[in-house]
Amino acid sequence: MVSLYSEKMLNIISNDSLEEKLICMFKKYGVSGYTILTARGEGSSGYVSDMSGFDTNILVKVILPESRMQVILESVERKIKKGHHLTVYITNVEVISPEKFAKKNG
Amino acid sequence: MSLSSLLLPAVLFFALGVIARLIKSDLKFPPDLAKVLSIYLLMAIGLHGGYELAKADIAVAFQSIVWALILGFTLPIIGYLALVATRKVNPLDAAAISAHYGSVSAGTFLTAIAYLDNLSVEYETYPLIMLAVMESPAIVVGLILAAKARQTIAARDGLAKSTPDEASAEKSNFKEMLRDAFTNGSVVVLIGSMIIGAIADPSGMDKLKPFIDEIFMGVLCLFLFDMGMVAARRIGDFKQVGIVLAAFGVVMPLVGGVVGVYVGASMLDFSVGGAMLVGVLGASASYIAVPPAMRLAVPEANPSFYLTLSLGITFPFNVIVGIPLYHALAKAMVG
Repeated sequence: MVSLYSEKMLNIISNDSLEEKLICMFKKYGVSGYTILTARGEGSSGYVSDMSGFDTNILVKVILPESRMQVILESVERKIKKGHHLTVYITNVEVISPEKFAKKNG
Repeated sequence: MSLSSLLLPAVLFFALGVIARLIKSDLKFPPDLAKVLSIYLLMAIGLHGGYELAKADIAVAFQSIVWALILGFTLPIIGYLALVATRKVNPLDAAAISAHYGSVSAGTFLTAIAYLDNLSVEYETYPLIMLAVMESPAIVVGLILAAKARQTIAARDGLAKSTPDEASAEKSNFKEMLRDAFTNGSVVVLIGSMIIGAIADPSGMDKLKPFIDEIFMGVLCLFLFDMGMVAARRIGDFKQVGIVLAAFGVVMPLVGGVVGVYVGASMLDFSVGGAMLVGVLGASASYIAVPPAMRLAVPEANPSFYLTLSLGITFPFNVIVGIPLYHALAKAMVG
């Protein structure tokens, strides 16, 4: 039987113009990795499509231990307070190799 | 205005894109197609223009750059004052929208070139340098107007000034935005291709002819086909922006077009074709370089406003009505 370990997954839906800033933030707080997907949809800031590559949204996923989540959430909250339209939610996930997510970059 | 201008294949494909969307066709282009095509179009026009500019008069090229900077810095201020005067948008929205109108749309410019080629009207290549120069100054003006607007709003609401830490973060953000404004993809492709076109061996350039010239119009048709669908998607948001803002999307290009044609005809002594192209630069609104810059730098502004205006109203207006109008105006001014 393979052992499973509980972790948190931070999900952020954002405009792709913020991608670089989000990556900088993850690196600053020692996140070991992230996954970015192209996304489209409609919300409080209107319709965002990936049509033709103009004005695309992204869905960013980061898995990390709960103990390191708070500092990142505070940074994300500062961005929201500045007016950036970010949709942020956290999900519980189970992973088979927790050391992958505990390790800091660099 | 002659009917032949509307029957340009590129314009007809734009209309087909709009119709496909309106009749809810399942037609879908691959994501990023318009971006890929616009890189090709900028590369082809840049290589072609650079080749011609190598033989051009440096003094006129310099004058064109100066006037491009003047237009790029002035038009957003005119737009901002007009928008604030309508009292329909807050100053931050006004700053973000007006930045789009000071910058340029390469798609509109290329359609104008197709229009002139179709009528066999000669034009100078200097407006091409102006196209590259005018991409960025308006972003800088938009950032400055937004910073002023924030101060005004903070003073009005009695909010505390930013802490020294916040001020220094804002300053470094501003520097980063400036760097982004002048190194954005369109500028790099266009200026880089112009330099390659100017310094490359002419025999090597001859081999590129099929790539630069022969498929150009076909690619432009495909680009406008896709853009027609993108624009039609935004026309649906017309109600959200309201009649006053929608009117701005038509009046502002007319103002920019008149100013541009005047600069081209009277200040730069261009021919009818050249003056019309400067008019198109003044009239067009950016939809590639400026929206992401404003999303980052003015996140408080509503993106639906500036995207609907530039893509859904001004772009179709210029492609269908504006270009022939600026041509007629250039004919009247150049004589």
